[in-house]
This record gives sequence, structure tokens and C-alpha cells, in this order.
Amino acid sequence: MAKLILTFNKQVIREYSFDKDGITIGRNEENLIVIDNLAVSGFHARIDKAGSEYILTDLQSTNGTFVNDQKVGSHKLSHGDNIVIGKHVILFVATEADKIEGGDKDKKLPLDRTVVLDTVKQRELLSKQKVAPQAPKSPEKIGVLSFIDGSAMGDIELTKKLTKLGKAETSEIKLTGILMPPTAATISRRPSGYAISFTGGMTKLKVNGTIVKDSVQLKDFDTIELGSFKFQFYQKEIKS
Amino acid sequence: MEVRASGISDVGLQREGNEDAFSVQSSLGLYIVADGMGGHLAGEVASRVAVEIIGKSFRKWLETQIPEDELFGYPDTSLSRVGNYVLSSIRLANRVIYEMATQHEQYSGMGTTIVILYVTPGLIIAANVGDSRIYLVRDGRIERMSKDHTIVSEHVEMGVMTEEEAAKSPLRHILTRNLGSAETVDPEVFEIVPSGRDRFILCTDGLTDLANDHEIFEIAQGEHNPELLCRNLVDLALERGGHDNTTVVSVFVGDTGRHPGQGILTKIGGVAADAFAVLGRIRKKVGL
Repeated sequence: MAKLILTFNKQVIREYSFDKDGITIGRNEENLIVIDNLAVSGFHARIDKAGSEYILTDLQSTNGTFVNDQKVGSHKLSHGDNIVIGKHVILFVATEADKIEGGDKDKKLPLDRTVVLDTVKQRELLSKQKVAPQAPKSPEKIGVLSFIDGSAMGDIELTKKLTKLGKAETSEIKLTGILMPPTAATISRRPSGYAISFTGGMTKLKVNGTIVKDSVQLKDFDTIELGSFKFQFYQKEIKS
Repeated sequence: MEVRASGISDVGLQREGNEDAFSVQSSLGLYIVADGMGGHLAGEVASRVAVEIIGKSFRKWLETQIPEDELFGYPDTSLSRVGNYVLSSIRLANRVIYEMATQHEQYSGMGTTIVILYVTPGLIIAANVGDSRIYLVRDGRIERMSKDHTIVSEHVEMGVMTEEEAAKSPLRHILTRNLGSAETVDPEVFEIVPSGRDRFILCTDGLTDLANDHEIFEIAQGEHNPELLCRNLVDLALERGGHDNTTVVSVFVGDTGRHPGQGILTKIGGVAADAFAVLGRIRKKVGL
């Protein structure tokens, strides 16, 4: 059974279950979903159930009916569609929504900014909403530095958010060399991915042959030279 | 390392109360912004409690250098010790707000976003939960040091929606994580090293709903003073409607706002430096 959630200014006003074969929306009190707003016609639109499909039809309303910002005359509803009537947004939640799970992270209670989530039911409902079909989550990746200069450093996983490369004992990756400063460069994992930064000193930092004086984002198979060391960066999937 | 910071919070033009909260503690190097939500101004409680608890617990752990296994929750092995202090203070604040929300009728449903910046000469930590943001302006670029916890941003990441669509979606404010709605929380924490010239902007979505990253970047590049930068950004939000509370904290790290490589001229200040630059060019032209 589908549900319709009436919202205004991102605030949930009411939810309606679709337990008939057809419902109407409009300013007139005879509608199932009554929207008392001047931008809404007396009988503005209707939704009919045909088998397992739900068809939304505009009833020649003055201001029109929109689905996901497109004006419609007649439209087959999909899960997550936003039906806009006047300034109200009606979210269409299909039965399949019940099968969508939130995953293993703490995202079971997304909140609308201005919603007062008094009821457990409202929370549950909002937590199951996705405005687009659920896509599989991409697997977690970790950066790896693969040393290709014959220095016997091998492959090193970048397990830290911030990895320091240099002579210092506290460096995550200790590199030797007369000109090697305590910290020659750092690699940090940022929202946009891994980036390498030059932190100064006598050793030059090069990425794919170009000298880097500040910082640069790293892509798979970028070749990095730091002093006499040479390594390649790539990301591999972490097996959970 | 020179650090200059400032913060402003404005109720905006359409809201009755201000549910944002912030704190600028330069002596500690800690900067926090929070955007509360919940009925009947419970959002105000949530954001203030978050700022208070995070500030106090972080300071205490930093001062006593408490070992990681004595913190609140398991430490994250990808973070430094101080990174774990930030992480744990967020977890602690979350727990307190969650308990308050579940145990008291008047706080039911309350929650808050949080963004935190911790600055030291050798390490900078940026952390967030929710859709308030941290921006870093460095090397002529603007970069986000936070990850939005919203349904739409997850969809953008999955490739199901573009950034532009997300920015216009009526459900763009639905969060997937915040402080207070669940017993545990999974914050984002990033660690970077200062470059010697960094500008950070911490802000709530009262600003980012009305200005895009590029506009924020242009304004950040043009202001040499954190107070004016905050003022400029808040004013921009107000000019564009001020539909929500708007809070901006700005931190300039190692950035004196002066032009590099001018020696004694840097002591005189920007305007005079420009005059001397012009003089220098004239001299060159004339062959002096």
C-alpha cells in the first residue's frame, strides 16, 4: 500500500495511506488530501490505482501540477516522486520502500530541519525514504604506496588520515637520505580523496614528473618522487 | 604561526529564534559551529549543549593528555591522538543530547549538526556531523574539509543525482546523521598540515543554501580580515533572503593578509605596499 506524505516548507504536515482505488487532492473539503491554499484549485488533481501502478492526473487546475519540477497532465508515479501542488510537496512512497534498508551506519534517523519528530512512526517513515532508487554502496577503499625504486620499502597501506613522510622517527613512512627533512611531505585523506602536500625542505616532490610546491590530489597510478624515493599511488578495496 | 579568527551568528530575516551556536577559542585553537533543530526552540538547547560539551571535554583531555583507550568509545586507529580527542568529544556530546531528547518531553526530537576545527602549528583537525560545513581556501582554491550527511549528497556520491539537482531538491535538508537522534554517531574527521597560508570557513546551511562554493571562494580571497569575511558572508545570506539562521566562523592560519616577499614593506601594510609596488614599477621603467 502506497503512502502520500504532505509537506510544506520541508515540514511534514500529514501522511496519508492509499487504501482506496483513487484519491483526490484540492482545496475543497471533499478531497482526501485537503490543501487550504489559494494556489490550489478546488479539485486540483487525482491519483488512481491501476493494478500496481499509480497514475497522477491534473484536473485542469489553474496553477498546474508538477512532478519533480516537471509540469504534468498525467503521470505514472514512481517511488520518491515529489508532487508539487501550489507550494505544497507531496512525497509519493511506494510499497517497495519498506524493503529498503539503511545499511550498517548510523543513518536510521535522518531529520528534516524543521520537523518536530514527535512520533516514532514519522521517524520510521522518514528513515525509509530515498528520493532516488537505492544504488549499491561503493566498497571502501584504502590508499597504497607501492615503492618502485628498488628500496625494499614494498607496498605500504595508508591507514592513517594523515601520513607523514620524512626522516623523523614519528613519521608514518620513514625515509632516509642526507637531504631528507624530518617531514618532507604529507598525504592526507580528505573528503575529495587523497592529496599529497609538500612541506618544505631540500628534497623535491614530483608527481608524474612535475614538481609540486604546494599540494595536489592523487589519482590511481600517479607516480611520486620524493628525494631518491619513487613510488606509485593507488587505491584498493578493503575487504570488510 | 599567526592565527586570527572571528565569528558571527545571525538569526536571519525569517526565523523567530536563533538555533545556531558557535564558539571561537583561539587560546585553545578550537573553533565550533552548531545548527540545532527540534520543536519549540529545543534546537537552541541542542546546539548550545553540543558546543559546551565538546569544548569542555576536548580541553580536559588535551590538558591531561589522556590515553586513547580511556576516551569515550573505541579510538579510531586512522587518527592521531588529538584526532581521537575530537572524535570522542563529538560522541560524548551526541550521547548527552540523545539522552536529553529521549528522557524529556520538551527536548523530544532535538538534534544538532556540528563542525569543529582544531588548529596547531603542526596539525589541523576538521570534523563534522550533518550538513554544516568547513571550507579551506588554500593555493588559490577552495576545498571542503567536511562531508555533508544528507540524503541528497549520498545520492550525488552514488552518481544518481548531480550537485545542481541536489542543491534544488526540496528534500536537500534531510540529514542522514546528526547529534541527538541516535545513541551512537559516526563523525567525519580529517587531518591536514598547515600550509602557512590557510583560510578556514565554518558555516551553517543558512549560508550555503544561498551561496555556492565559488561565491564563497571569491569573497574569501578578497577579504584580508576574518571579521570582515564573516560579516560579508552573513550579509550576503541576508541580502538573498536570510530564510534561516546563519553562522560563520572564519580562521586565518599563518596568513597575515600581506603580500609575500616584500621584506620591510610588509611592516607598513597592504595599501602602502601597493603604493611602493607602483613606485617600484615606475623606477624600473625609468631605469633606476
